[in-house]
Amino acid sequence: MNQPLIDLQHISKSFDGTMVLDDLNLTVKENSFVTLLGPSGCGKTTTLRIIGGFESPDTGKVVFDGQDITNLPPNKRQLNTVFQKYALFTHMTIAENIAFGLKIKNKPKTYIDDKIKYALKLVNLDGYENRSVDSLSGGQQQRIAIARAIVNEPRLLLLDEPLGALDLKLRQDMQYELIRLKNELGITFVYVTHDQEEALTMSDTIVVMNQGYIQQMGTPENIYNEPENAFVADFIGDSNIVPGTMIRDELVEIFGARFACVDKGFGNNKPVDVVIRPEDIDLVEPGQGTLPGVVTHLIFKGVHYEMEVTTPDGFEWLVHSTDLFPVGKKVDIHVDPFDIQIMNKPASEDEEAIGVNE
Amino acid sequence: MNKKRKSLREFFSNFYLVLILIFLYAPIMTMMVLSFNTSKSRTQWGGFTLSWYKQMLSDPNIISALYNTLLIAFVSALAACIIGTAAAIAINSMKPMTRTIVLGITNIPMLNADIVTGISLMLAFIAFGISLGFKTILISHITFNIPYVILSVMPKLKQTNKYTYEAALDLGAHPAYAFFKVVFPDIMPGVLSGFLLAFTMSLDDFIITHFTRGAGINTLSTLIYSQVRRGIQPSMYALSTVIFLVVLVLLLITNYRPKQKQAIPGMAGSNGAGSTSGSVSGTGSGNSSGGKFQKAAAAIAAVCIVLAVSWVTFMKYSVSSSDELYVYNWGEYIDEDVVSMFEEETGIKVTYDMFETNEEMYPVIDAGAVCYDVVCPSDYMIQKMIENDMLAEINFENIPNIDQINPVYMEMSQSFDPQNKYSVPYCWGTVGILYNTKRLEELGVDPPESWHDLWNPALSGEILMQDSVRDAFMVALKDLGYSMNTTNEAELQEAKQLLIDQKPLVQAYVIDQVRDKMIGGEAAVGVIYSGEMLYIQEEVENLGLDYSLEYVVPREGTNLWLDSWVIPANAPNKENAEKWINFLCRPEIALRNFEYITYPTPNQGAFELLDQELQENKAIFPDLDSLENSEVYRYLGDEEDAVYNALWKEVKSK
Repeated sequence: MNQPLIDLQHISKSFDGTMVLDDLNLTVKENSFVTLLGPSGCGKTTTLRIIGGFESPDTGKVVFDGQDITNLPPNKRQLNTVFQKYALFTHMTIAENIAFGLKIKNKPKTYIDDKIKYALKLVNLDGYENRSVDSLSGGQQQRIAIARAIVNEPRLLLLDEPLGALDLKLRQDMQYELIRLKNELGITFVYVTHDQEEALTMSDTIVVMNQGYIQQMGTPENIYNEPENAFVADFIGDSNIVPGTMIRDELVEIFGARFACVDKGFGNNKPVDVVIRPEDIDLVEPGQGTLPGVVTHLIFKGVHYEMEVTTPDGFEWLVHSTDLFPVGKKVDIHVDPFDIQIMNKPASEDEEAIGVNE
Repeated sequence: MNKKRKSLREFFSNFYLVLILIFLYAPIMTMMVLSFNTSKSRTQWGGFTLSWYKQMLSDPNIISALYNTLLIAFVSALAACIIGTAAAIAINSMKPMTRTIVLGITNIPMLNADIVTGISLMLAFIAFGISLGFKTILISHITFNIPYVILSVMPKLKQTNKYTYEAALDLGAHPAYAFFKVVFPDIMPGVLSGFLLAFTMSLDDFIITHFTRGAGINTLSTLIYSQVRRGIQPSMYALSTVIFLVVLVLLLITNYRPKQKQAIPGMAGSNGAGSTSGSVSGTGSGNSSGGKFQKAAAAIAAVCIVLAVSWVTFMKYSVSSSDELYVYNWGEYIDEDVVSMFEEETGIKVTYDMFETNEEMYPVIDAGAVCYDVVCPSDYMIQKMIENDMLAEINFENIPNIDQINPVYMEMSQSFDPQNKYSVPYCWGTVGILYNTKRLEELGVDPPESWHDLWNPALSGEILMQDSVRDAFMVALKDLGYSMNTTNEAELQEAKQLLIDQKPLVQAYVIDQVRDKMIGGEAAVGVIYSGEMLYIQEEVENLGLDYSLEYVVPREGTNLWLDSWVIPANAPNKENAEKWINFLCRPEIALRNFEYITYPTPNQGAFELLDQELQENKAIFPDLDSLENSEVYRYLGDEEDAVYNALWKEVKSK
């Protein structure tokens, strides 16, 4: 579990003069489920393709299990990829698709047949051997793509937005299947997605990327609850990001109101960014909270109400609550100290994007 | 009521369909029917025969042209497929901007007029010192076929999921294995339709082949075209019929196959989208049978490449013998046995090529792309070639048989070769009036003796005139008593007016249909070249027609034409050329040629060997006295040509 399987060292890559990855360092441990998460163009797919061998980095090294594989072609790497649009071979049957890699390795026929059966069972598609690719639904095709990859017993499976083309319900089902597969097979997964919910659901480790830099790396809880900068906070879930001043340790001032918090070490009277999740804001009767405001907007969302509370300074706070506060009602905002996340203000845009490694 | 209307509508839609089918296939059906016609005539049915098919199979010219055509079509299509597919893959992986530009550039040759492509290829070959021959045709065909392959492969590539190739690599496949196993089957329908397209384009091509072929090599299109002057032989109808049927069968097979395949559920959807050619889409999507098909195709392709390469090498080395002769003659203008007799006797290897018109032969000699040793142009063209210093003086010491040529013809030649230095007469003839004796009797008109008889109002709608400037004006100028080579403006204006006056009487202005129309009894009189009189008279006899066709040279004189052998100034084997001319002047050889060509021969020795009946046939050998007022066409210069053409245009447009 603790052995590093993939080690990316100082990887840079640019296309046509546009920097896509800049001095990226990333270690993936054996038997982990690592998700590269970020908006499109953040460099996550390029990172995956460099691991897979489909792109070569301009600078830096790719180390696989202690060996430098930077210049090894994809067909020589001990890993397999599940592509975004399945990339099944449409002129072959399902069985032929799954057997493709095994035939190249000259495995005996009985072995191959067993493997096909096993893989199809694993992805819940027993008996589909002789079907044609076109006769399968998108979800079934994706499961075949996974089966085709895993029969080769790779040590590392790369998945490039594999669920992107599926509808919501199917996507949720497949998320559970992937977790189950990972647990059954004991293969290391590196998973690329722009869907934060997918990342939070499946991963052991999430790597948030933007503009070619790693913004934050950590467990899903860690990433969600303690975003290290405004980008992460904004990208993962909904957030209220407001300017504040750190008066001293464990006390922050927001729009003139002082909130107790748990953060330390930012110095005294230091401008900071403050992140508060909408579900962490408690609305209370006027006079009982810290910051006064008025409910200006209300939407029923099923599980909760989504409200907007405008405070005198004009900031609109996003609030999720199971309690209903009608529009126009005066309320006070209250936040528990451990729900307040303090972040350093970026000095420049460059700094905002600086990679944060382990 | 409703039912009635429906059946009426059905009737009209079926009727329309039948009309379209007739419109499309009537010409081909006509050709197929004529290929079984005993008579050579295009209008008379002489009974059913398969002899044209036999003749086709036994004619080495046709078989070798067919072989060349198929080999060039197959090899060029195959090579274009390989190059074009590789190019398409490269272009597809380019950035959009570059891709658009490169695709535009590769598309231009397709839009280019064939004649431009042909001439520029020929010039390029000459500039780079590549001698024209089989390989230049092949290179040209590959060149013009590549864009078609790119065009048909591109859409398939765009449709293909670009990650399948990477997926194959990812699963451990070597790049080449991944390409052939994964990418190629996906684009196979495109490659196949590209191949068929290229194959057909190559089969079809005449113009580019014409400019880039070398001495002694013909494809079907150039062979057929070289027969235009003496009329296309019915064995060509037979050949065309066979080709049509083969293509039809191929088409049926390719269309039948995918239909079976599409019965597999879900297959139709993936095949239908965006495929360029319906007839071939779906091929290659089969599973195991598709694989077998591919393997077989690959094997056939490999064998053909080997064959082609060895053939090309063979051609290359077999040409390098030093004793050779390049002959450039009209199509069907020699008994082929004569060529082999010459080869046997002298040990000289003859490369024999044919042209269709003087105007087509001229630029070939002028460009020097192919160096011929001996050529057989007509009178006025010889004059033009002398004026442009394109001919070498003949050393008559090497041609002792020149004394077999009747001196009258040497004298005749002086109108274009004043000192008899450059040419030796080969065939000659006149232009006269062909008339239907029975028809004239019915009309109460006497047989014509003068050109003026063509202005007889009683012959309204019964006259066929030649549809060419000089021949039409010759008739009018001779009738007026002027020279047919006149450049006098007033005389020409007078002739023009005369032709305009004649117009209401003329049934049609035609060229070689005069022969068929007269045999078919469609007109009473027609202006015709005397060359094929023997054939015409035989044909009338064979068909058992109840009328006879006679030929007369009008008393005002006519156009006397002469085709003579000349040696181009750049001939590499001048002495061999003189041996050739001397050989053809031998009486028994000239006789053989006369019997084959049937055009009047200037060879006195050969004439004397003929039956008396033939000697006295005035249609073939008119009295030389009667030709007193006759002339030979002279080359008048480009400016004067333009004047004639302008006047002729006035006549035709009135």
